Amino acid sequence: MKWQFSNDAPIYAQLIEQIKVGIVSGAFPPGERLPSVRDLATEAGVNPNTMQRALAELERDGLVYSQRTTGRFVTEDKTMIETAKRSLAERHVKTFLAAMLRLGFQREEIMTLLRQETGEEGEFHGGSGV
Amino acid sequence: MLRKLLKHEFRATGRIMLPLFLILLATSVGANLSIRGMLDTDNRFLNILGSLLIVAFVVAVIGVCVMSMVVMVQRFYKNLLQDEGYVMMTLPVSTHQHIWSKLIVSAVWFALTILIVCLACLIMAADVTVIGEIVSGCQDLFRHVTAYYAINGTAIVAEFLVMCFVGCCAMCLQFYASLAIGHSFPNHKMAWSVGWFFIIQFAVQFLGGLLIALLDESWLHHLLLGWTVGWNISGMAAMHLSMILMILGELFYGAVFYFLTTYFLKRRLNLE
Amino acid sequence: MAVLECKDLCKNYGRAAALDHVSFAVEPGHIVGLLGPNGSGKTTLIKLANGLLTPTSGEILVCDTAPGKATHAWVSYLPERTSIPTWMTTTQLLDFYQDFYADFRRDAAEEMLQHLNIQPRQRVKQMSKGTREKVQLIMVMSRAAKLYLLDEPIGGVDPATRDYILSTIIGNYNPEAAVVISTHLISDVEKVLDEVIFINQGRMVLQASVDQIREEKGMSVDELFREVFKC
Repeated sequence: MKWQFSNDAPIYAQLIEQIKVGIVSGAFPPGERLPSVRDLATEAGVNPNTMQRALAELERDGLVYSQRTTGRFVTEDKTMIETAKRSLAERHVKTFLAAMLRLGFQREEIMTLLRQETGEEGEFHGGSGV
Repeated sequence: MLRKLLKHEFRATGRIMLPLFLILLATSVGANLSIRGMLDTDNRFLNILGSLLIVAFVVAVIGVCVMSMVVMVQRFYKNLLQDEGYVMMTLPVSTHQHIWSKLIVSAVWFALTILIVCLACLIMAADVTVIGEIVSGCQDLFRHVTAYYAINGTAIVAEFLVMCFVGCCAMCLQFYASLAIGHSFPNHKMAWSVGWFFIIQFAVQFLGGLLIALLDESWLHHLLLGWTVGWNISGMAAMHLSMILMILGELFYGAVFYFLTTYFLKRRLNLE
Repeated sequence: MAVLECKDLCKNYGRAAALDHVSFAVEPGHIVGLLGPNGSGKTTLIKLANGLLTPTSGEILVCDTAPGKATHAWVSYLPERTSIPTWMTTTQLLDFYQDFYADFRRDAAEEMLQHLNIQPRQRVKQMSKGTREKVQLIMVMSRAAKLYLLDEPIGGVDPATRDYILSTIIGNYNPEAAVVISTHLISDVEKVLDEVIFINQGRMVLQASVDQIREEKGMSVDELFREVFKC
């Protein structure tokens, strides 16, 4: 897994986000044991305490669970992973829309652009062509 | 912990001193061969080689004596006051243990140096018979001394050796103290160290002179006079007394230097 | 109990004040960045904590004890300059640390040295400057100490070595211990820190947690540093 951090958000929040992506994308498959806090922290190059905090938060959300002796595991509950996937997707869409609105696109134009990009429509009507 | 310090101290100094000793012993064998054969032959080449071997031996003897002092002083300076000081001065050992380890190791090497130089001279002196002669000569000397002064000559020799040994240690401590003081300054540490060495040297001589001048008129002088003249104590006893006084004096200087070194290493340490 | 504590700590060199009434505490389990421009007093502070300097006034305590023989057994110190004896071989160096520190994990050190392909009979003298720095860091991080004091561990090394050093620190420190890392290269260490202490011209400017700074100010520690220490 590749870890990347931006400057504007707390690191633990970014860790939560990236582990969620890992779970949703299957890098951490359902029911699989997660590496230890220290190993994860070393891999991501972050403070183990911060990693611990992120995992604790994920545990509270139910995406991971811990067994006292054997460590932390990814949840086997597929619907929960699906929900997480959905909420991640919604967030991305919201950020995307906000950015497009800032650029001055209207709803219709955005939809057209999207269809064109995904290859559903051959022709492009108007827009600023950024 | 002192034992462990000593172990690593011997490791560090042994790798310089032992090869030096080996070189000295090798040159002494060379000198031996030279004396036995080369110098007496008519072959000019062998003559020159022989005298070169003798020169090498003399240089080696002087070199080993000088180097043992240099190595011990340099070891203190490099190990405690240079970069390595960051590692050494943060070990879980006390400053006292540091100084003692350096002092003990130096003392052992000084003693070994004297021993090896004697051994090298014996080797150089060719025949085994010479060694026997020297030993019997010494015995003779002791016997004469003992007979003449009616007192134990070996005691004097022992006192003399102790005095030399304590003197070496006090000298070492004088170097340590001046280095420790000099390196507490922020700049020109080495120049300050040399300066302090001479200041200390001057102070010691000044105090010594003052002490003698004072003693001349003091009760102690009269007491000594009383012993030798009034109570008719032999000159030998006075000799013993002065030897012991000198040893005590050296011990006193050594102690002063020791406490100066400890104070400056503990309280005024200022590594670069 | 604080692992490292300064109470009104002052240190003067002659008339110049290197540290001016500094007070803070470092709790166990935290990785703390001691951040400040060059010459701000970081090294002086770390030397004081190691007993290599004596405070002019005030106090510095390691586990409630003034620096000395006892605290040296708890503190693992990486000096600013490489200072392992150069004449030693790697094995002799391992012997040395094992002899003096009861908490030295020799097997961990050997494993890390092997990972770097450093031969047991190789002398420190024969190593490159970068390798010497790594070897010293390995010795320091192989101890299960109560406090790690790392003075500029990533100054003057290439980015790949920087990553190696930081991951060695994270991967090896004792979790009950505190780690203090002094540096001016903030963006590189920011992710590994719990907490930062800013000092400038011998005065403490700020002590805060990294996530707190990001949450409250919406900027990274690096950005905050540039703002606070703007010339």
